[in-house]
Amino acid sequence: MRGEAGLPPVDMSVKVGPLALPSPVLVGSGTFGFGEEYAPYCDLARLGAIVTKAVTLRPREGNPGPRIWETAAGMLNAIGLQNPGLERFLAEKLPPLVAAGHVVIVNIAGHDVEEYVKLAGALDAAKGVAAIEVNVSCPNVSRGGIEFGRDPAVLGELVRAVRGATRLPLIVKLSPNVSDIVPLAAAAMEAGADALSLINTLLGMAIDARQRRPRLANVTGGLSGPAIKPVALRMVWQVWQALRPPIIGMGGIMTGEDAAEFMLAGAAAVAVGTANFVDPTSASRVAAELEDFCRGQRINHVSELTGGLQV
Amino acid sequence: MPHISARLTWNEEIGPGHHLMAAHAPQIAAAARPGQFLHVRVGPTHDPLLRRPFSVLRVDEASGQVWLLVKVVGRGTRLLAGMAPGAVLDVMGPLGCGFPEPPPGEEVALVAGGCGVAPLIFWADRIQTTFSHIRVVSILGAATEDVMVCWLDLAARSDEFYATTEDGSAGERGLASDALRGLLARRNFAAVYACGPRGMLKVCAELARGAGVPCFVAVEEAMACGVGACLGCVVPAAGGGYLRVCSDGPVFAAEALDWEALAT
Ligand SMILES: Cc1cc2nc3c(=O)[nH]c(=O)nc-3n(C[C@H](O)[C@H](O)[C@H](O)COP(=O)(O)OP(=O)(O)OC[C@H]3O[C@@H](n4cnc5c(N)ncnc54)[C@H](O)[C@@H]3O)c2cc1C
Ligand SMILES: Cc1cc2nc3c(=O)[nH]c(=O)nc-3n(C[C@H](O)[C@H](O)[C@H](O)COP(=O)(O)O)c2cc1C
Ligand code: FES
Repeated sequence: MRGEAGLPPVDMSVKVGPLALPSPVLVGSGTFGFGEEYAPYCDLARLGAIVTKAVTLRPREGNPGPRIWETAAGMLNAIGLQNPGLERFLAEKLPPLVAAGHVVIVNIAGHDVEEYVKLAGALDAAKGVAAIEVNVSCPNVSRGGIEFGRDPAVLGELVRAVRGATRLPLIVKLSPNVSDIVPLAAAAMEAGADALSLINTLLGMAIDARQRRPRLANVTGGLSGPAIKPVALRMVWQVWQALRPPIIGMGGIMTGEDAAEFMLAGAAAVAVGTANFVDPTSASRVAAELEDFCRGQRINHVSELTGGLQV
Repeated sequence: MPHISARLTWNEEIGPGHHLMAAHAPQIAAAARPGQFLHVRVGPTHDPLLRRPFSVLRVDEASGQVWLLVKVVGRGTRLLAGMAPGAVLDVMGPLGCGFPEPPPGEEVALVAGGCGVAPLIFWADRIQTTFSHIRVVSILGAATEDVMVCWLDLAARSDEFYATTEDGSAGERGLASDALRGLLARRNFAAVYACGPRGMLKVCAELARGAGVPCFVAVEEAMACGVGACLGCVVPAAGGGYLRVCSDGPVFAAEALDWEALAT
């Protein structure tokens, strides 16, 4: 922490449920690879944690291209969970992150409850995993392909099963593609989640009118970036109002002040996603800007922001 | 792979909608290899949001300048082409892998389609300075004469130069790949290097394979991160799975790609 002349340093450490982090600024899963790609650009030591790309039980090839399309102040993606699978993640991707001293949160995804349970069990036994983030925006194959995160009962069953497989802090990353987010947040917390990540991408699409073709090979994709920030803030605030759970807020954060807005709405920590693509220093810059924001506001401990919205 | 602010030093419209641009970026000029690209922010606001990738056309290490060829095709390229010298660009690069060293042999063929000429000018330059025993035979194809830009830059760095246009307004009437077909029948190239539209790349890859000549192609795909993290820029790999254009490429050995899936 850099103290400026005459001003006491800002304490940037936060607690997200049982998880103690050196900074409230994390990176969004899938926007930072497994950390290595951004090491030359971004001061990873300033980050609260590195959240990995989703890891699945077996390797996944992902979707055909085009996988991304730029939209007004945002982008669509349909990557399709391409990743090297659990075994190679544990052998090749995790050890260097742990050796570098980073707090590592592993994002997991599966086709059915059993896959999530196996993933959680394996990560529980692995060295250096700080927490598990469960991506529930995945089609549930045994329930006709409806996302786990769309139905409170299905979500509760998944979270309870994963909870039984690990003692690591458990973060559930909710899907925003629902009419009311609060019952899903409640179901996840009741089933044993320690914290919630809000929000994943919003389902969207883009069309090439001249060719009469979708822009993405997958037709639909997830919308991210500044365009979704108002929706994300609203959902964080609604869940905070109803349940006061530990929240990791994300969706279009580009600056330290954006991060402060999420914390005021109720987030204990935040994640920087799409902004990394625009400016590869974004994650560490947002952390530095948030610290400056606190100093300017005479805030000694960044966590004082959480839920500080005055309505 | 620095991330820097670079002052624009040159912006000249050299053909309709085609801009030759230069920026002062000594680190990039010293580090860039032919085939690599720069990932450029086209404005300070959130719209357009993402960076735009451009091949390095040439570097001048002495003056620390990096040259690009920008063809205006949409909003991002229009914004970039509208910038005046003195403007400051936010640039990441050089990124990706460059063209691999030429295999043993006496001459190589460079096949450029349209804007694909940019990385091949740099490559021809590097072959002439670093592998001076190798003769460079270049083909440049364009739709018409007025959009046949930078041909002199390529011709000046080649031992032999052929031009084709689709309407016959300059050089031979036809496609660059037609010219390659003719040359492959008569000559013994150590390698073919191609950059241009996918259809052209596919034909070049097939022709080279038929002639038993190694072929390397520089591919384009929309990008977000540019550094291999987002998995957004993939092309189908031969034998299944996907390769990232930004970090596994943009230059690939032709046999590494699944051309059937790629060209659709
Ligand atoms: C490795 C590489 C090297 C390139 N080198 C050059 C070059 O030297 N000169 C040049 O003029 N162009 C080059 N391009 C293409 C250039 O990046 C696109 O023309 C440009 O991104 C279009 O942006 P736009 O906003 O004007 O177009 P729009 O069509 O409005 O762009 C919409 C979105 O699609 C993306 N996109 C559209 N066309 C392409 C394309 N062909 N390749 C990649 N992304 C695309 C844009 O980046 C943007 O995200 C290169 C592309 C790649 C991948
Ligand atoms: C290219 C891309 C890939 C993503 N992959 C994942 C993923 O694997 N798992 C996940 O839980 N979220 C994934 N996300 C969602 C982000 O982590 C984040 O929740 C979302 O993008 C909103 O934040 P942003 O607007 O700051 O990007 C991905 C987002 C993008 C843009
Ligand atoms: S652009 Fe992100 S992986 Fe290539």
